[in-house]
Amino acid sequence: MIRFLVKRVLLTVPTFVALIFLVFVAIRLVPGDPVEVRVGEHGIAPERLALLRHELGLDLPVWRQFLGYVWQLAHGDFGRSLSTSNPVLGEFLTLFPATLELAACAMFIAVLVGIPLGVFAAVKRGSVFDQGLMGLSVTGYSMPIFWWGLLLIMLLAERWHLVPVGGRLDLIRFDYDAPTGFMLIDSLLSDEPGAFLDALRHLALPAFVLGTIPLAVIARMTRSSMLEVLSEDYVRTARAKGLSPFRVVGLHALRNALIPVVTVIGLQTGTLLAGAVLTETIFSWPGVGKWLIDAISRRDYPSLQGGIILISALVILVNLGVDLLYGAINPRILHGR
Amino acid sequence: MKVNRVFGLGLAALLLGGTAASAKTFVFCPEGSPENFSPALNTTGTSFDAARPAFDQLVEFEIGSTKVVPGLAESWDISPDAKTITFHLRHGVKFGATKGFKPTRDFDADDVLFSFGRQYDAANPYNKIGGGKYDYYSDMDMPKLVKSIEKKDDYTIVMTLTEPNVAILANLAMDFATIQSKEFADAMMKAGTPEQFDQVPVGTGPFIFQAYQKDAVIRFKANPDYWGGRPKIDELVYAITPDASARISKLKTGECQDAPFPRPADLPELKKDPNVQVLSQPGLNIGYLAFNATKPPMDKKEVRIALSMAIDRGAIVKDVYLGAGQQAKNLIPPTLWAYNDAVKDYPFDPETAKKMLAAAGVKTPIDIDLWYMPVQRPYNPDAKRIGEMMQSDLAKVGVNAKLVSYEWGEYRKRLGAGEDTAGQYGWTGDNGDPDNFFFLLGCPGGKPGSSNATKWCDATYDADLVKARQTPDEAARKAIYDEMQVIQHDNEPMLTIAHSVVYEPLAANVVGYKMSPLSRHQFQKVDLK
Repeated sequence: MIRFLVKRVLLTVPTFVALIFLVFVAIRLVPGDPVEVRVGEHGIAPERLALLRHELGLDLPVWRQFLGYVWQLAHGDFGRSLSTSNPVLGEFLTLFPATLELAACAMFIAVLVGIPLGVFAAVKRGSVFDQGLMGLSVTGYSMPIFWWGLLLIMLLAERWHLVPVGGRLDLIRFDYDAPTGFMLIDSLLSDEPGAFLDALRHLALPAFVLGTIPLAVIARMTRSSMLEVLSEDYVRTARAKGLSPFRVVGLHALRNALIPVVTVIGLQTGTLLAGAVLTETIFSWPGVGKWLIDAISRRDYPSLQGGIILISALVILVNLGVDLLYGAINPRILHGR
Repeated sequence: MKVNRVFGLGLAALLLGGTAASAKTFVFCPEGSPENFSPALNTTGTSFDAARPAFDQLVEFEIGSTKVVPGLAESWDISPDAKTITFHLRHGVKFGATKGFKPTRDFDADDVLFSFGRQYDAANPYNKIGGGKYDYYSDMDMPKLVKSIEKKDDYTIVMTLTEPNVAILANLAMDFATIQSKEFADAMMKAGTPEQFDQVPVGTGPFIFQAYQKDAVIRFKANPDYWGGRPKIDELVYAITPDASARISKLKTGECQDAPFPRPADLPELKKDPNVQVLSQPGLNIGYLAFNATKPPMDKKEVRIALSMAIDRGAIVKDVYLGAGQQAKNLIPPTLWAYNDAVKDYPFDPETAKKMLAAAGVKTPIDIDLWYMPVQRPYNPDAKRIGEMMQSDLAKVGVNAKLVSYEWGEYRKRLGAGEDTAGQYGWTGDNGDPDNFFFLLGCPGGKPGSSNATKWCDATYDADLVKARQTPDEAARKAIYDEMQVIQHDNEPMLTIAHSVVYEPLAANVVGYKMSPLSRHQFQKVDLK
């Protein structure tokens, strides 16, 4: 187990180095640098432009900038944001809990709803429910998040007033410190009556919107994986032994069908974080997605580099965790390595 | 059953809870977060709006106008040679207390010296803090204009200029000239956290800063000791809402009382909503097509005039600005006091344009490049579409225009270097002084890499520009500006397209709010019915 873990961690090192290099170079290929973006219609004297670029080290060859950045990273320093002058790591850590809370709840909804629906569709293969569900999942999968989000805001928030339009909390009713950055936890810690429910109300719609695509993917994958497993001999044997349908499906079939589903859940982490960029913008959700968009438009190189590297590290870690989960679900996989 | 009832009540609370509102809390929904809370370091309206409730300047823009009125300086004297301005400061002005800092003294001349000194004096301990870039101070030519700023006594500041310039008062009303607390700066330096100075706005403004969560919320409470009178609302909340549709939705559901920067497409529906009032006013801006006067055939004024007459600006304003624009005939918008309404606009007349081109020796068909901006700007909602309409109009008079664009930074750089033949560009006024528009066509600006995209240079216009800056009398200044607008019209270095109209939707129960021509959002006079 430990050998497997060390091997997997070591394998992530080259991925990580390549990632840092790609992020660093790709950002610099985008036309316009931070100084030019800041100038606007006012114009800038060539001497001042040169001075500001020099102060930011932008006049150095890219390879020297890269080596300098790697050296900085090796010391745990992600630099300072060019627009706010605050440490990048500090800004990321302030905003990341909001993204993590949103993504985790979205995934929770996707798993909680997607797996049972997929199982049910597989058991009722060919039924109206199965066909309807598969049709819906294709729709869900192909739906643009921003459109889906705005549509639900118009219906559920504007027209029916069931949920708020955006944000994480009713700013007029509640004003308390958020020590953890996770609003559900902070609302409980605040001792303010109604704060937790209010935080939940604010979270419900964006989490559902962000979870729509993973939900569709998980439901489809569960269905197809279950269909394959349900035709296996050991399932037929279990049925022949007179086990209840619940035990056959829930214990024998589902556990074996979960391997590809878990893979998909791991892969969807990246999709969730990418989707969070749009979801956060639509729902005024103060997470890292919106922060990265701002960094791109301002050519805030340190924020963009630091943010992408930290998020990518998280995606790599989640996928490593998924690899380890295989072993827990099916020990034969671990022994086979 | 009991469980069901509890669950039902919980669900009802979940769905319907949180609608009660405090009577005097005003929620503004800006589109973004500030870079920090020190206006001297910033360049964006978003950042200025975020810090403004906590601060004042020596002189200020009257709310809802560009008129310069007393601020922390209750009066000022200008010397006869217009090179020295003496500011008499208000007594008894308090700084707001925030978490971790309680001011022990009132505002005085040291705060003024510190706030300006930070921006120009390398020896000031804060000069390099927060990135140390004072773009607005440089852009407004302050290093060149200001010779010295001195304290005569605790409540008198003397500003000496290198040359007479009456327009500088408008500069001093801008956000970069905000007065911050020296005592707070010293306390932060002593605590070893000078960067905190830019994160917490400690000022003398109508509101006192309470808290900020990045990309989420900024909180202020009314300053009971404000020298201009306590604000009518108790709390001011900035609920940061980047998406324009979400801002409108929040306004409709009562989560916001002010949702700035609406999309034009949302306006018709908003105007019908009884819970919403939509304010509007002409923007302090100009969108134009700059003819590069250093490149043939644009070096001939007859050609420039002919091309202007070949383009149907009425159609552009109708189809691209969707009514949220006003066709422009001068460089400055009609809301400015120096506007010359006697200037007669060139009509849309393709037949005359053809004849004028022929008379100017232009053999058609002729090829030119026509640049359009890759971005939407306050003065230009869709430069590409405008470019296409111009291209179509120009083709009818034998001018084949090739549409060209670059990434925004690259576009500005190349346009500034004069690489174009004709290119769309524009300007949004900083301070409401006419000089802040007329300088765009000044000769020093005609050098490569500058704001003068036309590269046109007229000696009389340029001399007038300098003369107007040295003329304190407004009527005399107006006469000079009138002449400059005639010179511009006769030479047509640019085709002035339109001044956009700016809209601001508010909740119907908001009273006392005035839109600012400078797109500033100020709430000290606002109340809720």
